[in-house]
Amino acid sequence: MPRQQGEEAGFEIDRAIHEPARLLITAHLYVIESADYVFLMQNTGLTWGNLSSHLSKLEAAGYVEITKEFVERKPHTMVKLTDEGRAAFDAYRRQMKALFEDLPDGSTSSTLTRK
Amino acid sequence: MKDRAALREVERRVWLRTFEHGLWDLAVGLLLLSFAVGILTEFYWISAIVVPVGLPVMRGLARRTIVPRIGHATFRGRRKRSLAHVQLILAALALAGGGMFAFTAFATREAAPEWAIWVRSHFIVAIGLIWGGALGVAGWAVDYPRLYAYGGLLFGALLAVDLLPTGYPLGHALIGVGGLIALVGAALFIRFLRRYPRHPAPIDGADDA
Repeated sequence: MPRQQGEEAGFEIDRAIHEPARLLITAHLYVIESADYVFLMQNTGLTWGNLSSHLSKLEAAGYVEITKEFVERKPHTMVKLTDEGRAAFDAYRRQMKALFEDLPDGSTSSTLTRK
Repeated sequence: MKDRAALREVERRVWLRTFEHGLWDLAVGLLLLSFAVGILTEFYWISAIVVPVGLPVMRGLARRTIVPRIGHATFRGRRKRSLAHVQLILAALALAGGGMFAFTAFATREAAPEWAIWVRSHFIVAIGLIWGGALGVAGWAVDYPRLYAYGGLLFGALLAVDLLPTGYPLGHALIGVGGLIALVGAALFIRFLRRYPRHPAPIDGADDA
C-alpha cells in the first residue's frame, strides 16, 4: 500500500490516514476506546458503504481492529484503533503540525501582489 | 496545542451525544416523582422498589431505542473514571440514606443535643443539600451541565418547603420538581426519536456490504 507521499519534498504523509473520511474515522476512534458501525456513521456523517470501505482500508493498514460478536443473536461489530493506528495518528498529527508551522506567512506577499 | 483542543472538542461532542436522548433526565424526574407519590400516599415502598425495577426497564429501553439509533461506544480513561464516580455517588447516597435513619434515631432521643434537634427540625434542607449536591456532583463527574440545574432546582424547592411561612408539603414540591425534570426528559426523548430514525438494516458488519 502506498502509505507515504512527499518523501522527495522532505516530509512524509501517511495516506491511509490522510484521506478526509479516514482522517475523520481515525480522529473519532482516537478519542474513544471503541465504537460500533452505527455510532461511527452518526458521528462522521459517512454512509454505511463508505464507512465499510474506509474501515477495510484502515484494517488492511493494521490501524483498526474489527471485532464481530453476537448480542442477543444479532451480529454486532465493534471497531477499535490498534496501538499501531494510535501511533500512526500521533505521527500524522506531528507531521501536519510541523508542515504548517514551517510554512511562511503568505498574507504579506499576496498583499504586495495585489498592489 | 490547537489540534489537542480540537480533539478534546470532538471527544466532548461525541460524549455529550450519548446523553442527548433525555433518558437520564426522565429517570431522575421519575425517581423524584416516585418519592413524591410515596410520601403523598404513604406507600413508602414505592420509592424503595423504583430503583431495582426502574433501572432494568431503563436499560432495556436504552438498548432497544438508543443503540439502534446512535450506536454504541466505549470511552477511554477520564470518561470511564467519571462513570465510576457516578457509581460512587450512588453508593454514597445509599450510605447517606442509612445515615439519615441513624441520625433520626439519635435526634429523637430525649437526651439529644440541641444542635441535633435543630438539624432535625430543618431535615428537609439537609435532604435538599444531599440530593441537590449529589445531582451537582454527578453533573460535574459526567460533564453534563443540566444536572447542575436540576440539583439547584431541587435544593431550592426543598429550601422553600422549609422556609416558606405558609408551608407546602414536601410531596407537592417533589411532584413539581420531578414532574418538570421528567417533562424535560420526555421532550428530549421525543426530539431524539425524531432526529435519529432507527437505522435501516443491515446495521452492522463490513462483510455484508
